[in-house]
Amino acid sequence: MPGQKSAVLFAWILLIPALLYVAAIVAYPLVDTFHLSFTDASLRKTTNWVGWKNYQKIFDTEFAEIIGRTFVWTFLSVSLKMIIGTGGAVLLNAALPGRAVFRILTMPPWIVPMAIGIFMWGWMYNGQFGMISGLLQRFGLSDGPVAFLAYGSTAFWATIITDVWIGVPMVTMYMLAAIQSVPVDLHEAAWTDGASRFYRLRRITLPMIFPAAITMSMISLISTFNSFDIIWILTQGGPSGSTTTMIIDTYSTAIGSKKFGEGAARAVVICLFLSAFAILYFQAVTKLSRRMTT
Amino acid sequence: MTKTLLRTGAALAALVVAAPAMAEEITMIVCGDTMDPIHDKYIAEWEAQNDGWTVAPEVVGWGQCQDKVTTLAVAGTPVGLAYVGSRTLKEFAEFGLIEPIPMTEEEKASYYPNVVGTVTYQGEQWGVPVAFSTKAFYWNKDLFEEAGLDPETPPATWEEVIAAAKAVTENTDSAGFGLVAKTFDNTMHQFLHWVYTNNGQVVDDEGNIVLDSPEVLAALEAYKALVPYSEEGPTAYEQNEVRAIFLDGGVSMMHASIGAVSRLADTDINWGVANLPLGPEAKGPGTLLITDSLAVFSGTGVEEQAISLAKFLTAPAAQEEYDLNAGLTPLRPSPTIDALVEEQPYWAPYIEGIEFGGPEPLFTDYRAFQNIMIEMVQSVVTGDAEPADALAKADAALKELE
Repeated sequence: MPGQKSAVLFAWILLIPALLYVAAIVAYPLVDTFHLSFTDASLRKTTNWVGWKNYQKIFDTEFAEIIGRTFVWTFLSVSLKMIIGTGGAVLLNAALPGRAVFRILTMPPWIVPMAIGIFMWGWMYNGQFGMISGLLQRFGLSDGPVAFLAYGSTAFWATIITDVWIGVPMVTMYMLAAIQSVPVDLHEAAWTDGASRFYRLRRITLPMIFPAAITMSMISLISTFNSFDIIWILTQGGPSGSTTTMIIDTYSTAIGSKKFGEGAARAVVICLFLSAFAILYFQAVTKLSRRMTT
Repeated sequence: MTKTLLRTGAALAALVVAAPAMAEEITMIVCGDTMDPIHDKYIAEWEAQNDGWTVAPEVVGWGQCQDKVTTLAVAGTPVGLAYVGSRTLKEFAEFGLIEPIPMTEEEKASYYPNVVGTVTYQGEQWGVPVAFSTKAFYWNKDLFEEAGLDPETPPATWEEVIAAAKAVTENTDSAGFGLVAKTFDNTMHQFLHWVYTNNGQVVDDEGNIVLDSPEVLAALEAYKALVPYSEEGPTAYEQNEVRAIFLDGGVSMMHASIGAVSRLADTDINWGVANLPLGPEAKGPGTLLITDSLAVFSGTGVEEQAISLAKFLTAPAAQEEYDLNAGLTPLRPSPTIDALVEEQPYWAPYIEGIEFGGPEPLFTDYRAFQNIMIEMVQSVVTGDAEPADALAKADAALKELE
């Protein structure tokens, strides 16, 4: 069918600018990073092909430990964001007086420029001048200053708490929108049948917002996995590497030590993990949409 | 219409013909927030003396400066002249990104001792020192008095520092010593003060790694001995944060740069400044010598003029004016500097420490070197490792690195 052929051709011609754009800003950097990961690229003007050496090297070092730490950090942060964000959304959806004010009050962590918010937390964690240490001492919960960023375990949790603080508003707003999309008549019918508020939450609201929660979790997972600014500004991965995640290690290797080849190999590993998350996400979404339509 | 076309054509032709005669430009990256007026003045003078040449300085914030210079060089579009930390010179030199800037014997002799060493690699100079930093010892006289110590006599040895820190911690509400151990570059710098005040080295004159030595071990042990008498959680603080605690009266002693003087002037603290206390193997007052340099990048086609500009900006008179204006440790001795020390005696320890001071060791992968040193210090401060073990581990890691 010559008419159909020319229509397809016309469609491709229309797509060319967008394809070129995607090729230039997505495909080319990806392919180049993949290529770079098999070289010894550094500040040296020449680069050599080194095969799998960069990959062998990263798994010979403490990178396996860093991968584990990244997963724990991400899991804790995303879980807390989802629990607090969903809980906040449920409360904000309740018919409470001044609800609009509370909704506005959830926004500052999102509105404040991220770096400023992180520096603010850095000061709050400061043992000598920080608010948290001061309050602990004032209420007799600590004998002296507590420097939260000085020790591996406290620094690890401090970075998670800051990440949660920044991430919760987005989850809250998204989940609030999901809750508001639940048909009111379902709640009214359940209420007429004598269902308690908690029962309605458990049996109507939560199942209805589950697809949105899956989507939000995945979006949050990907951004948290690659969360750089918070850890870098607060601890630079320290003390003693206790807050070094994959993205921090990749930055330190590629930009700090100028080992572009090794850094690219780390970036490819991150990319593979994120691709796996994306596949899981799309599978979950497909399954859910099938369930919803049948 | 034809006339207009002819005129435009003639104008374009004139431009093409005139192009070779137009001024050639040296691009320059300066790290900081603003262009120093002294440099502005001398750049204008250099331009006046070099007809047909202009300088295009660009000020880049400290956070991005080093990365921008490096990225431009790697991308094949290097800047003509750039302000860089001298610690990066070896890396740039080894990868052929910068030009050597040879110094005459007379030029070398004009600097304080060991300064030229901060820009020398394999016998050649790869940058011209443009900014210099040394450190001295500060103590809070009121806290010393409260702790029962002589407020007018600063500790002169490590042993005395540890004893004074203990006395202050036990007899006042403040901590004894401001210890720096954060994951931050100046943790390594602060530790090197201890190394260079005990005749220690990281790399010897032949380029061998000699970190695992009794001198450095003693420094690490002294660092550990101060932990119980320092602010809570030293791994959370870098040197400027420790300085803030000192300014708040929270610690009684610290190592700091000359910038502390102006900040102390705004407080009620009764303070003193002296040479860094010495370790048992010291041969004389020491300090870490940190310089920033002007480096000339290869492949710009203006290397020769960039070297001329670098030398012009750092010539003795211009450099002295810049040092005094910016409040930096002077790079060269002179009658003006002698008068300065006489008038403002707090400068003396900053200059006396130079003689036995040591440079930031030059490593090709400087960041990895820094991380190894920080990891060593942190593992000792947190009690995760004994000094001897941490030192042996760091020494092995540095040998592998090189």
